[in-house]
Amino acid sequence: MNITGLRHGAKLLDLVGFPRSEVLGPEASDQEIKSLIDRCGSVFIKPIFKGGVGKKGKSGLLGRASDLAAAMKEKERLYFAEHFHNNTMAKAEGVTFEGAVPAEFEIYFSLTDSTEFRAPTITITHHGGMDIEELPPTMIARIPFDPLTGLKGFVISNALKSINAPAELISPLVQHLPKLWDLFHQYGMTTLELNPIRMKSDGKGRLTPVACDFKCSFDGDDPNVDRLGLPDDLDTSSYSNFEQEVNSLRTYQGQSDVFVINETGTITAMTFGGGANALVTELLGDAATISSDFGGNPPYAKMHDISRIVYKYWLNQSNVLFIIGGKANNTDIFETFRAMADALRDHFNAYGAQPLYVVVGRGGPNLIRGMSYMKDTLDALGLPYQMFGFDSAMSEVVNYAQAADDWMKNGGREIVAKRMGIQA
Amino acid sequence: MHPQGVAAFPHYFVGVNSLAELATKEDRVCVLNITGGESRTVTPVSHIYSGGNIVCGTSPGRSGSMVKTSAGDIPVFDNMAEAVNAGLKFNVVVVYLPPSGVRDGVIEAVRVNPNLKKIVILTEKVPVRDARIIRAVGQMHGIDILGPNCLGVADAHNHVRIGGALGGSAPEESLIPGSVAIYSNSGNFTTTIAVYLATAGWGTTVSLSSGKDVYIQYAAPEWTHAFHNDDRSKAAVMYIEPGGYYERELKFEKPVIACVVGRWKAKLTKACGHAGAIAGSGDNALAKEEWFMEKFGVDALFTPDNPVCSGKGAVVTNISHIPLAMTAVMAKHGAKPDFAPVGDLSLKCWFSNTQGLDLPAHLTPPVVQALAPYDDQIAALGEQVGVVFPRQTMKDASGASMMDSKTQVTRIHGVSVLDSSTHTFEENLVQSLIREYPDANGSALANIALNAFVNQAGKVGLAAADAARGAGNSPNTSLAAAVAMIGPKDVAKSRDVATALVALFKKSGLADPGQAFDFSAQLAAADPAMFVTPMNARKCCELSASRCDAMIEAVGARSAKSVFIDFVQALAAKQGGRVNCAVLLAAITTHLAWKPLMRKRISAMTVTNLPWHFRIFSTLIGSAASSAQQVTDRFCGVENAELMRGWSFTETAHLALLGNRPDAEALYAFSVLLGLIISNGPGTISAQGAKGAVSADGPESPERVQVNKGYIGFLTHTGYAHGGNGFEAIAFLLDRFRSSGLKDPGSAGHGLDLAAMATGYAKEYKGYKSKAKAEGNISYDKIPCVNHPVFKDKDVNYDPREVFVNELFKKRGAYNVFHEFYHQLVLALHKTGVSKNVYCVNVDAVIAVILLKMLWQPYADGKISDETMEAAAFTTFLFGRMIGSAAEIDDHTNRGRNMDTRTAASACSYVS
Repeated sequence: MNITGLRHGAKLLDLVGFPRSEVLGPEASDQEIKSLIDRCGSVFIKPIFKGGVGKKGKSGLLGRASDLAAAMKEKERLYFAEHFHNNTMAKAEGVTFEGAVPAEFEIYFSLTDSTEFRAPTITITHHGGMDIEELPPTMIARIPFDPLTGLKGFVISNALKSINAPAELISPLVQHLPKLWDLFHQYGMTTLELNPIRMKSDGKGRLTPVACDFKCSFDGDDPNVDRLGLPDDLDTSSYSNFEQEVNSLRTYQGQSDVFVINETGTITAMTFGGGANALVTELLGDAATISSDFGGNPPYAKMHDISRIVYKYWLNQSNVLFIIGGKANNTDIFETFRAMADALRDHFNAYGAQPLYVVVGRGGPNLIRGMSYMKDTLDALGLPYQMFGFDSAMSEVVNYAQAADDWMKNGGREIVAKRMGIQA
Repeated sequence: MHPQGVAAFPHYFVGVNSLAELATKEDRVCVLNITGGESRTVTPVSHIYSGGNIVCGTSPGRSGSMVKTSAGDIPVFDNMAEAVNAGLKFNVVVVYLPPSGVRDGVIEAVRVNPNLKKIVILTEKVPVRDARIIRAVGQMHGIDILGPNCLGVADAHNHVRIGGALGGSAPEESLIPGSVAIYSNSGNFTTTIAVYLATAGWGTTVSLSSGKDVYIQYAAPEWTHAFHNDDRSKAAVMYIEPGGYYERELKFEKPVIACVVGRWKAKLTKACGHAGAIAGSGDNALAKEEWFMEKFGVDALFTPDNPVCSGKGAVVTNISHIPLAMTAVMAKHGAKPDFAPVGDLSLKCWFSNTQGLDLPAHLTPPVVQALAPYDDQIAALGEQVGVVFPRQTMKDASGASMMDSKTQVTRIHGVSVLDSSTHTFEENLVQSLIREYPDANGSALANIALNAFVNQAGKVGLAAADAARGAGNSPNTSLAAAVAMIGPKDVAKSRDVATALVALFKKSGLADPGQAFDFSAQLAAADPAMFVTPMNARKCCELSASRCDAMIEAVGARSAKSVFIDFVQALAAKQGGRVNCAVLLAAITTHLAWKPLMRKRISAMTVTNLPWHFRIFSTLIGSAASSAQQVTDRFCGVENAELMRGWSFTETAHLALLGNRPDAEALYAFSVLLGLIISNGPGTISAQGAKGAVSADGPESPERVQVNKGYIGFLTHTGYAHGGNGFEAIAFLLDRFRSSGLKDPGSAGHGLDLAAMATGYAKEYKGYKSKAKAEGNISYDKIPCVNHPVFKDKDVNYDPREVFVNELFKKRGAYNVFHEFYHQLVLALHKTGVSKNVYCVNVDAVIAVILLKMLWQPYADGKISDETMEAAAFTTFLFGRMIGSAAEIDDHTNRGRNMDTRTAASACSYVS
């Protein structure tokens, strides 16, 4: 889950007392906006995207206004703005009005876990306010630190000195930036980025860092995130209904990671193990409805729940139900196959029978018992199937599933339906 | 601030200098949460495989217990301090704790055990926040940590596995000693790669499942160093997924096959700011492929068609290509595989069913013999006849019935009771047990078997039922007395014969016992004593011989066919004996069960018990009629032989209840009625009674379950409130119509103004309700069979079950004045302001109106009393509900655990 922008970010920064620009939400009255403009000279108008999107400014999705009329015009322009990034489209749901902060310096600051240092690491530069990745490495400081002691002032000080930051920046940043460690570490974040932090002057030469934007990612496995009491629908746009429904099962043993690959796909793959997931999703391409990893020895009840949800969303359009994994180490094949078979039978009972080709490739504990249970169920449902041993190359089994899908697409679906005595 | 470990890593601590040190014979292990769900199965296998390397485990509250293994028992302590204080020495801790406990478990391990050198964390979903701290703690104390979210490490040469389940339940199958080290981000693929390598003759040294969290505590850099220092490892496979920069700076001194997967994941990544981008040139799969290609000096991926590799290695994106790539790269060094290839990676189909479809050749690979030991297991499947359901707690659960809470429609074996109501009584009885409907031949045979045993004249059970009725008991209580007399001894012969028939024919290839079949081999193999009664033997009862003759005659009269009947007759002829009716019953029930048994839809135990269920069906129907209505050869005035020859069991049930053979319309209405009341799911009280009775006998020894007691459980869990309450609606209608002069409730020309009758009553009820409310009486009488807690929120409401049945009858042109009155009544209640919207007429009304229509004439003629009417209504319910109860009894016998319907004391409450 991500948060982008100060609408929610402001509340998080307030938790640790980090200064930030004034912000009003889409519900702000004309009077409130006008008052903000009067205080700050101008306001920035930014569209609100659930989840997070980057490079809004570069896409022209940033407005600035010095009077109420211009602010309202920008509000109208940006309220339902659309943004494309990494082939995904996001649609805005409102805007924020953020008070401008006049400043000479803009700071970029982020906190994340580095896999190079295997430690929490800060990234900081006083050359902020631009695309930071385009700066030469010498102008950016990346400093790991010990999580047992946390982010201390001396880490900030050393970092700024290493990039020759102006002396007047050091003291205020040393004073304020360590506060962010609390926010980052105690509330389950994996990334926290403030860009820009504008160094506001009090007129006497004293500078105060003011966060003018906010981005963070949360760790889905960290219950500390819940302590923030964030709204449930904060990041719903990032997930389809299907993904949300499966994600709700993350609470107990076993993986349950799913992504929608193609909403019009025709092969639904129940995949076990991260490796199998990577391989199968790669090879199936757009034929796949979903990418899944249900490994980690899920108990019967969870596997039944997952199967029920997958079938509900994807089976009707599918030609092939593909159950695939390597030779399991500890996932009980009997329990998982029994759950998938029972759920399939229940699905047929609830939604009616449908033509389907079932392809299975799997190994692991209780393999033959599991395959036998699946076989009995498929026999009873009258579905054609092939089950392959784990000593068959997984990619060959994927090829077979694709061939079965092709056959179903080219008249096979009708033939299977006719044999089952149902409509295709 | 870390102790100095391996000199090659000056900036952080690494203790292991060679892969040979990762999992050694000398390592001694303590497993945290050793009795947890995953550890419970994995740890004993590791212990046995490793020659007993686990010295202890922890599990709070279980101190003093043992985890039993064939390599010695493992003591369990409440915590590590207790284990250390007990003098146990261990240098490795394996963590199976839940995610929230992992960090504290690691800190505690470090705190109490100064000898600790390695920690293996299996747990997945450890928060990044905790992983940060774990990393820092391990560094501070000089401890190598593996994981989290990994499957640990295994050394095939040392025969040691530490941590998770690499190699599964049979590690030797996959972990074959050889010269290749494996480093894998995927736990499953660690083993799968080992299996794949063996197909090209490559064995393994150390297989490490690294985990794939943000923090990989023992990662590629330190693994590569240890790989270089392990003389046994001549080459390595690295299985790498997107994310992280662990591999970017690696420098290899030995050949490596890198399998990099997950290009597609780049599409799914959601950007969050610039932090990731600054860290480097990207850590997606494509970038990682390039890192490795640069290291190996190759310009393309290795595929079988384009085998690009160097002496340094090759990059593949498909694990199936790893063995070939390994052989190609090693050939450049003049190195040959470790052993002869074990199998190959071609497609091997183990199970196939094309359902008789004409599939293209490339979709019909031959079914091949599986590799050992799976071949023996598959062969054993051929020996097993019928399905074997896994046993589980079946309290409030059922594999037979399911009520949809939205539609309120219950399904039995997938068939809704609405559809059941269009089948006959006997078809539903059979379906309840064999999970599918019989064909016409099967129905004919079922009618013979059920009618053959319906006459209870002279039976002690009938006497008991009569006595119970005489004592003023309700119908369910009286019938329970009769059912008690059909004990296991009464049906022992039939059950034995059914079992013997299955044993004789299970491998015969018999597909359809309704078709001709050459059973000469079974004739030769059969034990005659099981199937044939000598001509001079004492009859088991006076009825037996004539009943047996009548059954055989009925088979001919109905032109029914059964291989099993032919078989027992042929055997009797061959032996010069005769066939007992118990044998014939078993032949018929086995016939009915054969196809679903062969398709593994039902269990062998169900087939064995079928004759018992059939005897109970006959007894329950037969005992509903008093002894005054039964003599030796006639039941309710109809000859036994005639019942077998030409009556359906639905007609017989009607005869037992109402004393006559129904016409076509009445028969249809009666069947619909019985079908509708089959079940309301496993939560209904009657089902609970049946299930409780089975549970108490201990279904884990299914042969000891007293099937008749299951029915007694069902019967005792019905009563005036459950089953008997159908009479309320009848009484209500009687009050409305008693003085109406109604002659024929099936005629639309009855001459009654139903709307006026309904409005008159609605006004009367409104007055009553107002008065009751004014008096503070909130439990005033409700009108039976209108409104429903689910179907209530629309302006005009319908119970879809009632609508379904109403349509059924309308299509047949059947009319029911009582049903029509109910429709007028809900309108009138709304018009007069009793209800805010138009109530639905619920399904219970349907039952009442059908029954009342059947009973109206004798009631109007004064032939039956209110009491008889009430008993008839209750008994009808019992007939229908017997179907659903049969399904629950058989299902619970097959799936349940001993005493699984009990409620834990903690879930019970005391009320003072």
